Amino acid sequence: MSSTQNKTHSRHPYITRFLVLLSIVGPGLITANIDNDAGGIATYSMTGAATGYRLLWILLPITIALIMVQEMSARMGLASGKGLADLIREKFGLKVMFYTLFFLIFADLGNTMAEFAGIASAGEIFGISKYITVPISTILVWLLITKGDYKIVERVFLAGCTVFLSYIVSGFIISPDWLEIGKALIPDVSTIQTSDYPIIVGLIGTSITPWMQFYIQSAIVEKGIDPKNLWEVRIDIIVGCLLMFVVALFIVISCAATMYGKGIPINTAGDAALALEPLAGKYASMLFGIGLFNASFFAAALLPLATSYYVCEGLGWESGVDKSFKEAPNFFTIFTALIVVSAGAILIPNINLFGILIWSQVLNGVLIPLILIFIINLCNDPDVMGEYTNSKIFNLISYGIVFLMIVANTAMLYYEFL
Amino acid sequence: MSIFANTSNTTLYFSRMQGIRVTRENSTSLGKLADFFVDYEEIYPQVLAIQIKRSGHLFYIEWKDIISFSLDCIIVSNDAHEHRSRTFPKIYNPKVITSLLANQFRGKTVDYPSISKVVLDRQIVDTSGKKVVRVNDLLFIKVGKSMRITHAVIGFRSIVRRLGYETVVDTVIKTFNKNAHYLKNNININWKFVHALPDKSFQKNVRLTLDNEEIRNIHPADLADILEDLDGHAREQLFSNLDHELAAETLSELEEDIQTKLIKKEAPEIAAKILEKMDPDEAVDLLSELHKKDAQNIIENITDQEAKDDIEELLAYKDNTAGGLMSTEEFQVSPNITKQEILHRIQTENDDIESIYDIYIVDSNETLIGTCPLNKVLIQKENIPIKEIMNHTDIKSLQATTPWREVAEFMSKYNLINVPITDENLHLLGIVSVDDVLPWLLDEKS
Repeated sequence: MSSTQNKTHSRHPYITRFLVLLSIVGPGLITANIDNDAGGIATYSMTGAATGYRLLWILLPITIALIMVQEMSARMGLASGKGLADLIREKFGLKVMFYTLFFLIFADLGNTMAEFAGIASAGEIFGISKYITVPISTILVWLLITKGDYKIVERVFLAGCTVFLSYIVSGFIISPDWLEIGKALIPDVSTIQTSDYPIIVGLIGTSITPWMQFYIQSAIVEKGIDPKNLWEVRIDIIVGCLLMFVVALFIVISCAATMYGKGIPINTAGDAALALEPLAGKYASMLFGIGLFNASFFAAALLPLATSYYVCEGLGWESGVDKSFKEAPNFFTIFTALIVVSAGAILIPNINLFGILIWSQVLNGVLIPLILIFIINLCNDPDVMGEYTNSKIFNLISYGIVFLMIVANTAMLYYEFL
Repeated sequence: MSIFANTSNTTLYFSRMQGIRVTRENSTSLGKLADFFVDYEEIYPQVLAIQIKRSGHLFYIEWKDIISFSLDCIIVSNDAHEHRSRTFPKIYNPKVITSLLANQFRGKTVDYPSISKVVLDRQIVDTSGKKVVRVNDLLFIKVGKSMRITHAVIGFRSIVRRLGYETVVDTVIKTFNKNAHYLKNNININWKFVHALPDKSFQKNVRLTLDNEEIRNIHPADLADILEDLDGHAREQLFSNLDHELAAETLSELEEDIQTKLIKKEAPEIAAKILEKMDPDEAVDLLSELHKKDAQNIIENITDQEAKDDIEELLAYKDNTAGGLMSTEEFQVSPNITKQEILHRIQTENDDIESIYDIYIVDSNETLIGTCPLNKVLIQKENIPIKEIMNHTDIKSLQATTPWREVAEFMSKYNLINVPITDENLHLLGIVSVDDVLPWLLDEKS
């Protein structure tokens, strides 16, 4: 028997490094892309249409914050080999973890609702009633979770997300005033008006979501990446976040250029599609509809499934789609309930779909500082992190981020409700 | 006066004790009860010290300094020393160790961590139920002047109790159904079945021993289920502590992606040792999932020449053909061998062959010239050569390139448990048995 003898040739060290990088890429890229789900698209479009280029600069600190937060979650996964729910329970006890998960379920319910609202909106672009699209999608989503392959779901989702790259093309075709955009990217707190706070909190909420931190950490743990490859993981995260930043930036730019100041309010997702008209002309809404449906549909599957996993992980319940209902009743109940309740809420007559999209992101924005405090605390615990604890400067910046988020939240609550 | 004078319960839950006020005799407040240090090296560990939390800082006070212990307040003597440490020095009394967890602390451990760093809120292996569980609560028992842990508590009711809703939920459920299943749903795991799992980044001076009699006695199929439920680090640790034989058996019961993850983490020499002990066809399935270079690396390290040849031979076939499915452990003999010699060979070669249903007769060129069921040999009264009783006219065999589906149909049609596999010149290569085909059929169905 002749076995294929591999020729041992010494590779260039940089090439070896690059190959290692390729094997690690994934968790960061996927997590960042889930940012551009239905809620994300809605929030960015809304920002552009309602405030023009004025708030463009806010995307910069958000992206930096996102990179730092995800890096912490990923580092935690590498160092401890455990999920976030696990660690919260082991460090802070069952009570703290229970209430965290309790609120996480609520936030995720809001997000899942947003995904179904996205499905409904996408359907309406094609003139199909939500009473048809939502029930059918609900069944398909449920089947996808129970019968589908998680890895394939992720990949199809990623592929579908490339539709949103068309915003970049659209942005160039519009040829906006680049100088003005350049200026708008310079941070300037004086541009913020009191009516902007819900938008800012929504922007934070759609970019840095609580469930994403759970998601990226378990993806890292699941991949079993060696802690010595921390830098490759960091590159994966940075590239993913920058990609998200560019897409978000161009959605805001194209919506600002086409809609801002023209008195076009965004009430339905179809309105947001106007921004793609310079690229696709009369097919703009179709392109947007397909992109929106893809993002919403797959996120509507990934989100309840992921949520169900974290809850079961934290409470020590059996989980896994390959188990039977009898073996893992809690696991199946949680994601089924999330899907059914969300879809049901969307079917309530006269409900403001686009409003749900925006407000679910605001809810995220309110919850995320809490999760971040846990993450930072865990990242400073040598029992959890070993030699991979946060540096002093890193702590300073991350607590600064949490502080700014709380300020934005308080300001929003103050101006909106008082 | 006993220190438990104000405690009527014999058993105490951790959840009820957490947060009890701790004061000195002169009423100076010390903080709240946070955790316990226990002597892990006992069957039912005795409490050695209580950990106290005061404005974010942790310290401990030894049990002997406690004057009174009740669910309202713990009183310690005025001169009790506050130890500023998160661990308790290991006790080096020579003991007769019988318990599972006790054994884990016998090795390189220098300090005892507090109980919630090892068991409470953590995943453990319940070696009696043979599964991985997360511990929600702990059950203590009063023994004379001291307290001992007896059980780890799991189940939904213990979650409710930890959250502090036990009374409310119990009352609500009782009003609806006095005999509700929930009210009796206390799941306690006796301490002697508790097997702690290592933490990746635990303090360096806590090193749990994993090489345990109890773990070794778990059936490989159950062990595989346990490994599948564990997080990556604990899984690797537990696996790399198994001896090669058990590791091999467990590995073949695991899901494919976990198989490859575990074997990749082992050094090539160790991986080779484990693969040697596996059935060659299963070893090959695993190897074909690895990168070519890694697989080659492992194969080169296999020292058992026979196993190495088998594996290299099987690797050449596609895994969805008869060649990829087959195992090379068939029982083959020359035509002139007699019944006595056959029985003798079965006795001596027993280790190498999984099970024998048929005997395959080959000539000097390794060409398959006949088959004979083992029972037909056994019932012979005379010591005759096998060629006289073998079936040589209608040999049911297949070629190595046959797709697995056709193999399954062939075996089903002729009711075969094993089918011999040959190359195009009828040289015997191996056998496919029905359990090699079954997983493919099941996969296709689901």
